[in-house]
Amino acid sequence: MKLLQLSPADLRHQLAGTGVWLRTGPFSLRVRSRIPHVAEGLADLYGQFEVRNSRQAFADFHVELNPPPLRRWFRPQVNFSFDGTLPFKPLPLDQAYPMLEWGLNWCVSMHAHHYLVIHAAVVEKNGLAAILPAPPGSGKSTLTAGLVLSGWRLLSDELTLIDRKTGLLHALPRPVSLKNQSIDVIRQFSPEAFINRVSHDTAKGSVAHMRPPRDSVLRQHEPARPGWVIFPKWEAGADTMLTPRSKAQTFMFLAQNAFNYSHLGADGFRVGAALIDQTHCYDFRYSELNEAVAAFDRLAEHRIS
Amino acid sequence: MARFQIKFFEPEAVVFDTASGDTHFLAPFTVVLFRMIQDNPGMTADEMYASLASRLSLGISPEFTHQTDEALASLRQIGLLETP
Repeated sequence: MKLLQLSPADLRHQLAGTGVWLRTGPFSLRVRSRIPHVAEGLADLYGQFEVRNSRQAFADFHVELNPPPLRRWFRPQVNFSFDGTLPFKPLPLDQAYPMLEWGLNWCVSMHAHHYLVIHAAVVEKNGLAAILPAPPGSGKSTLTAGLVLSGWRLLSDELTLIDRKTGLLHALPRPVSLKNQSIDVIRQFSPEAFINRVSHDTAKGSVAHMRPPRDSVLRQHEPARPGWVIFPKWEAGADTMLTPRSKAQTFMFLAQNAFNYSHLGADGFRVGAALIDQTHCYDFRYSELNEAVAAFDRLAEHRIS
Repeated sequence: MARFQIKFFEPEAVVFDTASGDTHFLAPFTVVLFRMIQDNPGMTADEMYASLASRLSLGISPEFTHQTDEALASLRQIGLLETP
Protein backbone atom coordinates (compact mmCIF):
# COMPACT_ATOMS: atom_id res chain seq x y z
CA MET A 1 0.00 0.00 0.00
CA LYS A 2 1.22 3.52 -0.79
CA LEU A 3 0.96 6.47 1.54
CA LEU A 4 -1.19 8.38 -0.96
CA GLN A 5 -3.89 5.72 -0.48
CA LEU A 6 -4.38 6.87 3.11
CA SER A 7 -6.99 9.61 3.50
CA PRO A 8 -5.73 12.80 5.20
CA ALA A 9 -7.82 11.93 8.23
CA ASP A 10 -6.42 8.38 8.39
CA LEU A 11 -2.88 9.68 8.02
CA ARG A 12 -3.33 12.19 10.86
CA HIS A 13 -5.02 9.54 13.02
CA GLN A 14 -2.25 6.99 12.50
CA LEU A 15 0.51 9.56 13.01
CA ALA A 16 -1.03 10.66 16.28
CA GLY A 17 -1.58 7.06 17.38
CA THR A 18 0.62 4.05 16.68
CA GLY A 19 2.53 5.88 13.95
CA VAL A 20 3.01 5.51 10.20
CA TRP A 21 5.41 2.85 8.95
CA LEU A 22 7.32 3.90 5.83
CA ARG A 23 10.01 2.34 3.69
CA THR A 24 12.65 4.67 2.25
CA GLY A 25 15.34 2.83 0.31
CA PRO A 26 16.93 0.14 2.48
CA PHE A 27 15.46 1.57 5.70
CA SER A 28 12.08 1.35 7.35
CA LEU A 29 10.87 3.89 9.83
CA ARG A 30 7.95 4.54 12.10
CA VAL A 31 6.93 8.17 12.44
CA ARG A 32 4.63 9.49 15.14
CA SER A 33 3.42 13.09 15.41
CA ARG A 34 0.39 15.15 16.37
CA ILE A 35 1.66 18.15 14.38
CA PRO A 36 -0.45 19.01 11.28
CA HIS A 37 2.62 20.26 9.32
CA VAL A 38 4.22 16.83 9.63
CA ALA A 39 1.13 15.08 8.30
CA GLU A 40 0.88 17.66 5.51
CA GLY A 41 4.56 17.23 4.58
CA LEU A 42 4.32 13.44 4.47
CA ALA A 43 1.14 13.58 2.37
CA ASP A 44 2.71 16.09 -0.02
CA LEU A 45 6.08 14.42 -0.45
CA TYR A 46 5.89 10.72 0.43
CA GLY A 47 2.75 9.70 -1.49
CA GLN A 48 4.55 7.09 -3.61
CA PHE A 49 6.27 5.42 -0.67
CA GLU A 50 5.21 2.06 0.73
CA VAL A 51 3.37 2.04 4.06
CA ARG A 52 2.47 -0.92 6.25
CA ASN A 53 0.65 -1.58 9.47
CA SER A 54 2.94 -0.04 12.07
CA ARG A 55 1.76 -2.49 14.75
CA GLN A 56 3.10 -5.46 12.79
CA ALA A 57 6.04 -4.27 10.67
CA PHE A 58 9.60 -4.01 12.00
CA ALA A 59 11.10 -0.52 11.77
CA ASP A 60 14.79 0.39 11.74
CA PHE A 61 14.13 3.86 13.15
CA HIS A 62 11.36 4.96 15.52
CA VAL A 63 11.02 8.74 15.40
CA GLU A 64 8.55 11.15 16.93
CA LEU A 65 7.96 14.86 16.44
CA ASN A 66 5.84 16.55 19.06
CA PRO A 67 5.83 19.75 21.11
CA PRO A 68 7.66 19.69 24.44
CA PRO A 69 5.10 19.40 27.26
CA LEU A 70 5.27 23.05 28.39
CA ARG A 71 5.70 24.80 25.04
CA ARG A 72 2.41 24.21 23.27
CA TRP A 73 1.11 27.75 23.41
CA PHE A 74 3.96 30.20 24.12
CA ARG A 75 6.40 30.26 21.18
CA PRO A 76 5.51 26.65 20.41
CA GLN A 77 8.37 24.29 19.69
CA VAL A 78 8.95 20.79 18.36
CA ASN A 79 11.21 18.00 19.61
CA PHE A 80 12.67 15.25 17.43
CA SER A 81 12.78 12.00 19.35
CA PHE A 82 14.72 8.91 18.22
CA ASP A 83 14.00 5.65 20.05
CA GLY A 84 12.83 7.74 23.00
CA THR A 85 15.93 9.97 23.16
CA LEU A 86 16.24 13.64 22.15
CA PRO A 87 19.41 14.06 20.05
CA PHE A 88 18.71 17.73 19.21
CA LYS A 89 17.50 20.88 20.91
CA PRO A 90 13.87 21.78 20.11
CA LEU A 91 13.11 24.00 17.10
CA PRO A 92 10.22 26.41 16.44
CA LEU A 93 7.06 24.47 15.64
CA ASP A 94 6.97 25.93 12.13
CA GLN A 95 10.14 23.95 11.37
CA ALA A 96 8.64 20.57 12.31
CA TYR A 97 8.73 19.16 8.78
CA PRO A 98 12.33 20.12 7.94
CA MET A 99 13.29 18.80 11.37
CA LEU A 100 11.84 15.42 10.39
CA GLU A 101 14.00 15.37 7.23
CA TRP A 102 17.14 16.48 9.09
CA GLY A 103 16.46 13.97 11.83
CA LEU A 104 16.05 11.12 9.34
CA ASN A 105 19.37 12.07 7.72
CA TRP A 106 20.93 11.91 11.18
CA CYS A 107 19.39 8.48 11.85
CA VAL A 108 20.95 7.04 8.69
CA SER A 109 24.32 8.78 8.95
CA MET A 110 24.81 7.74 12.59
CA HIS A 111 23.60 4.16 12.39
CA ALA A 112 23.93 2.66 8.89
CA HIS A 113 27.45 1.30 9.27
CA HIS A 114 26.95 -1.49 6.77
CA TYR A 115 27.49 1.34 4.28
CA LEU A 116 30.25 3.89 3.91
CA VAL A 117 28.05 6.98 4.21
CA ILE A 118 29.29 10.14 2.51
CA HIS A 119 27.71 13.58 2.67
CA ALA A 120 26.96 13.91 -1.04
CA ALA A 121 24.09 13.77 -3.49
CA VAL A 122 23.84 10.89 -6.00
CA VAL A 123 22.04 10.77 -9.34
CA GLU A 124 22.08 8.10 -12.03
CA LYS A 125 21.58 7.83 -15.76
CA ASN A 126 22.22 4.96 -18.18
CA GLY A 127 23.32 2.74 -15.32
CA LEU A 128 26.09 4.95 -13.97
CA ALA A 129 25.86 7.20 -10.94
CA ALA A 130 27.36 10.63 -10.37
CA ILE A 131 28.30 11.42 -6.77
CA LEU A 132 28.08 15.15 -6.03
CA PRO A 133 29.93 16.11 -2.87
CA ALA A 134 30.23 19.78 -2.09
CA PRO A 135 30.23 22.24 0.79
CA PRO A 136 27.00 24.12 1.60
CA GLY A 137 26.26 26.95 -0.81
CA SER A 138 27.89 25.25 -3.78
CA GLY A 139 24.63 24.66 -5.62
CA LYS A 140 24.64 20.89 -5.06
CA SER A 141 20.96 20.55 -4.19
CA THR A 142 19.88 22.91 -6.99
CA LEU A 143 21.87 20.90 -9.51
CA THR A 144 20.53 17.64 -8.08
CA ALA A 145 16.95 18.90 -8.38
CA GLY A 146 17.58 20.13 -11.94
CA LEU A 147 19.05 16.77 -12.96
CA VAL A 148 16.27 14.64 -11.49
CA LEU A 149 13.67 16.89 -13.13
CA SER A 150 15.47 16.23 -16.43
CA GLY A 151 15.53 12.45 -16.52
CA TRP A 152 18.29 11.54 -14.09
CA ARG A 153 17.30 9.13 -11.30
CA LEU A 154 17.50 10.45 -7.75
CA LEU A 155 19.40 8.17 -5.39
CA SER A 156 19.78 10.83 -2.69
CA ASP A 157 20.27 14.55 -2.32
CA GLU A 158 22.27 14.24 0.93
CA LEU A 159 23.61 10.75 1.67
CA THR A 160 25.71 8.53 -0.57
CA LEU A 161 25.34 4.95 0.66
CA ILE A 162 28.22 2.76 -0.57
CA ASP A 163 27.63 -0.95 -0.03
CA ARG A 164 30.76 -2.24 1.74
CA LYS A 165 30.48 -5.67 0.10
CA THR A 166 29.65 -4.78 -3.49
CA GLY A 167 30.77 -1.15 -3.85
CA LEU A 168 27.38 -0.36 -5.39
CA LEU A 169 25.44 2.75 -4.44
CA HIS A 170 22.09 2.24 -2.74
CA ALA A 171 19.20 4.63 -3.22
CA LEU A 172 17.49 6.69 -0.56
CA PRO A 173 15.28 8.87 -2.78
CA ARG A 174 13.68 11.07 -0.15
CA PRO A 175 12.58 14.65 -0.87
CA VAL A 176 15.23 17.08 -2.17
CA SER A 177 16.05 19.89 0.25
CA LEU A 178 16.02 23.35 -1.35
CA LYS A 179 17.27 26.46 0.38
CA ASN A 180 16.80 30.19 -0.15
CA GLN A 181 17.19 31.24 -3.81
CA SER A 182 17.24 27.59 -4.95
CA ILE A 183 13.52 27.35 -4.24
CA ASP A 184 12.65 29.96 -6.89
CA VAL A 185 15.34 28.70 -9.27
CA ILE A 186 13.71 25.27 -9.31
CA ARG A 187 10.18 26.73 -9.52
CA GLN A 188 11.27 28.61 -12.65
CA PHE A 189 13.23 25.66 -14.03
CA SER A 190 10.25 23.33 -13.77
CA PRO A 191 6.87 24.84 -12.85
CA GLU A 192 5.48 21.27 -12.61
CA ALA A 193 7.84 20.32 -9.80
CA PHE A 194 6.04 20.01 -6.48
CA ILE A 195 7.73 21.98 -3.71
CA ASN A 196 6.10 22.00 -0.28
CA ARG A 197 5.52 24.97 2.02
CA VAL A 198 8.57 27.05 2.89
CA SER A 199 9.86 27.11 6.48
CA HIS A 200 11.50 30.47 7.15
CA ASP A 201 14.26 31.48 9.56
CA THR A 202 15.72 28.01 10.00
CA ALA A 203 19.44 27.53 10.73
CA LYS A 204 19.83 27.12 6.94
CA GLY A 205 17.62 30.07 6.00
CA SER A 206 14.36 29.44 4.14
CA VAL A 207 13.92 25.72 3.46
CA ALA A 208 11.46 23.70 1.38
CA HIS A 209 11.45 20.18 -0.01
CA MET A 210 10.83 18.95 -3.54
CA ARG A 211 8.84 15.76 -4.06
CA PRO A 212 11.10 13.00 -5.46
CA PRO A 213 10.21 11.81 -8.98
CA ARG A 214 7.86 8.82 -9.00
CA ASP A 215 10.26 6.74 -11.10
CA SER A 216 13.07 7.27 -8.57
CA VAL A 217 10.83 6.06 -5.75
CA LEU A 218 9.64 3.03 -7.73
CA ARG A 219 13.29 2.11 -8.41
CA GLN A 220 14.49 2.76 -4.86
CA HIS A 221 15.65 -0.83 -4.39
CA GLU A 222 17.81 -0.75 -7.52
CA PRO A 223 21.47 0.01 -6.75
CA ALA A 224 23.73 1.86 -9.19
CA ARG A 225 27.35 1.53 -10.24
CA PRO A 226 29.51 4.56 -9.45
CA GLY A 227 30.71 6.37 -12.56
CA TRP A 228 31.81 9.84 -11.52
CA VAL A 229 32.63 12.00 -8.52
CA ILE A 230 31.83 15.58 -9.52
CA PHE A 231 32.30 18.65 -7.32
CA PRO A 232 29.72 21.24 -8.43
CA LYS A 233 30.22 24.95 -7.83
CA TRP A 234 27.67 27.54 -8.83
CA GLU A 235 29.23 30.89 -9.77
CA ALA A 236 27.33 33.86 -11.16
CA GLY A 237 28.20 34.32 -14.84
CA ALA A 238 30.56 31.32 -14.98
CA ASP A 239 30.82 29.29 -18.17
CA THR A 240 29.82 25.66 -17.78
CA MET A 241 33.09 23.81 -17.33
CA LEU A 242 34.04 20.28 -16.36
CA THR A 243 37.71 19.80 -15.45
CA PRO A 244 39.47 16.64 -14.24
CA ARG A 245 40.62 16.69 -10.62
CA SER A 246 43.11 14.69 -8.57
CA LYS A 247 41.82 11.28 -7.52
CA ALA A 248 43.92 11.24 -4.35
CA GLN A 249 42.62 14.66 -3.30
CA THR A 250 39.10 13.56 -4.12
CA PHE A 251 39.61 10.53 -1.88
CA MET A 252 40.80 12.79 0.96
CA PHE A 253 37.75 15.06 0.59
CA LEU A 254 35.36 12.11 0.63
CA ALA A 255 37.09 10.61 3.67
CA GLN A 256 36.75 13.90 5.52
CA ASN A 257 33.10 14.23 4.49
CA ALA A 258 32.08 10.66 5.28
CA PHE A 259 30.00 10.26 8.41
CA ASN A 260 31.50 6.92 9.40
CA TYR A 261 34.91 6.68 7.66
CA SER A 262 36.77 6.77 10.99
CA HIS A 263 34.35 4.30 12.53
CA LEU A 264 34.97 1.78 9.73
CA GLY A 265 38.78 1.98 9.96
CA ALA A 266 40.72 0.06 7.31
CA ASP A 267 37.52 -1.11 5.63
CA GLY A 268 36.44 2.50 5.11
CA PHE A 269 39.79 3.12 3.40
CA ARG A 270 39.34 0.03 1.22
CA VAL A 271 35.79 0.92 0.20
CA GLY A 272 36.67 4.56 -0.50
CA ALA A 273 39.76 3.64 -2.52
CA ALA A 274 37.78 1.11 -4.59
CA LEU A 275 35.16 3.79 -5.29
CA ILE A 276 37.74 6.31 -6.51
CA ASP A 277 39.46 3.61 -8.57
CA GLN A 278 36.36 3.04 -10.68
CA THR A 279 35.21 6.64 -11.08
CA HIS A 280 36.24 9.70 -13.06
CA CYS A 281 36.72 12.75 -10.86
CA TYR A 282 35.87 16.29 -11.94
CA ASP A 283 35.37 19.85 -10.76
CA PHE A 284 32.28 21.41 -12.31
CA ARG A 285 31.47 25.11 -12.54
CA TYR A 286 28.18 26.44 -13.79
CA SER A 287 25.84 29.41 -13.66
CA GLU A 288 22.92 28.24 -15.87
CA LEU A 289 21.04 25.16 -14.72
CA ASN A 290 19.94 24.21 -18.26
CA GLU A 291 23.53 24.21 -19.44
CA ALA A 292 24.63 22.23 -16.41
CA VAL A 293 22.04 19.53 -17.11
CA ALA A 294 23.13 19.41 -20.78
CA ALA A 295 26.76 18.94 -19.71
CA PHE A 296 25.78 16.04 -17.43
CA ASP A 297 23.70 14.51 -20.24
CA ARG A 298 26.71 14.66 -22.58
CA LEU A 299 28.80 12.94 -19.92
CA ALA A 300 26.23 10.15 -19.57
CA GLU A 301 25.89 9.74 -23.35
CA HIS A 302 29.66 9.65 -23.80
CA ARG A 303 29.98 6.79 -21.31
CA ILE A 304 27.57 4.54 -23.20
CA SER A 305 28.83 5.33 -26.71
CA MET B 1 47.71 -6.90 8.79
CA ALA B 2 50.40 -4.40 7.79
CA ARG B 3 50.32 -1.13 9.70
CA PHE B 4 50.07 0.95 6.52
CA GLN B 5 47.74 0.53 3.58
CA ILE B 6 48.81 2.52 0.54
CA LYS B 7 46.73 3.27 -2.52
CA PHE B 8 48.47 4.92 -5.45
CA PHE B 9 46.43 7.23 -7.64
CA GLU B 10 49.24 8.23 -9.99
CA PRO B 11 51.08 10.50 -9.54
CA GLU B 12 49.75 10.84 -5.96
CA ALA B 13 48.87 8.41 -3.21
CA VAL B 14 46.84 8.06 -0.01
CA VAL B 15 47.99 6.14 3.05
CA PHE B 16 45.89 4.67 5.84
CA ASP B 17 47.59 4.08 9.19
CA THR B 18 45.79 1.20 10.87
CA ALA B 19 47.47 2.05 14.18
CA SER B 20 46.23 5.63 14.43
CA GLY B 21 43.27 5.52 12.03
CA ASP B 22 44.71 8.55 10.25
CA THR B 23 44.69 8.96 6.47
CA HIS B 24 47.48 10.86 4.73
CA PHE B 25 47.90 12.39 1.28
CA LEU B 26 51.22 11.94 -0.52
CA ALA B 27 52.06 14.58 -3.15
CA PRO B 28 53.77 13.45 -6.38
CA PHE B 29 57.28 14.43 -5.22
CA THR B 30 56.83 12.51 -1.95
CA VAL B 31 55.54 9.45 -3.83
CA VAL B 32 58.67 9.36 -6.01
CA LEU B 33 60.89 9.72 -2.94
CA PHE B 34 58.99 7.05 -1.02
CA ARG B 35 59.28 4.55 -3.87
CA MET B 36 62.97 5.29 -4.31
CA ILE B 37 63.65 4.64 -0.63
CA GLN B 38 61.64 1.42 -0.74
CA ASP B 39 63.64 0.23 -3.76
CA ASN B 40 67.01 1.32 -2.31
CA PRO B 41 67.09 0.99 1.48
CA GLY B 42 70.17 2.30 3.28
CA MET B 43 71.00 5.22 0.97
CA THR B 44 72.95 8.17 2.35
CA ALA B 45 71.46 11.65 2.07
CA ASP B 46 73.81 12.58 -0.80
CA GLU B 47 72.99 9.38 -2.67
CA MET B 48 69.31 10.12 -2.16
CA TYR B 49 69.56 13.67 -3.52
CA ALA B 50 71.52 12.45 -6.56
CA SER B 51 69.21 9.53 -7.33
CA LEU B 52 66.06 11.60 -6.86
CA ALA B 53 67.38 14.45 -9.00
CA SER B 54 68.26 11.95 -11.71
CA ARG B 55 64.77 10.35 -11.62
CA LEU B 56 63.08 13.75 -11.86
CA SER B 57 65.59 15.21 -14.36
CA LEU B 58 66.35 18.07 -11.96
CA GLY B 59 69.55 19.73 -10.78
CA ILE B 60 70.60 19.52 -7.10
CA SER B 61 69.94 23.01 -5.80
CA PRO B 62 69.39 24.26 -2.23
CA GLU B 63 65.65 24.43 -2.98
CA PHE B 64 65.74 20.83 -4.19
CA THR B 65 67.52 19.50 -1.10
CA HIS B 66 65.18 21.53 1.13
CA GLN B 67 62.12 20.07 -0.62
CA THR B 68 63.58 16.58 -0.30
CA ASP B 69 64.28 17.07 3.40
CA GLU B 70 60.72 18.29 3.95
CA ALA B 71 59.29 15.29 2.10
CA LEU B 72 61.49 12.97 4.19
CA ALA B 73 60.27 14.68 7.34
CA SER B 74 56.66 14.21 6.30
CA LEU B 75 57.26 10.49 5.62
CA ARG B 76 58.90 10.18 9.06
CA GLN B 77 56.02 12.06 10.70
CA ILE B 78 53.50 9.72 9.11
CA GLY B 79 55.59 6.76 10.23
CA LEU B 80 56.40 5.44 6.78
CA LEU B 81 60.12 6.04 7.47
CA GLU B 82 61.64 4.89 10.71
CA THR B 83 65.20 6.14 10.15
CA PRO B 84 66.49 8.85 12.54
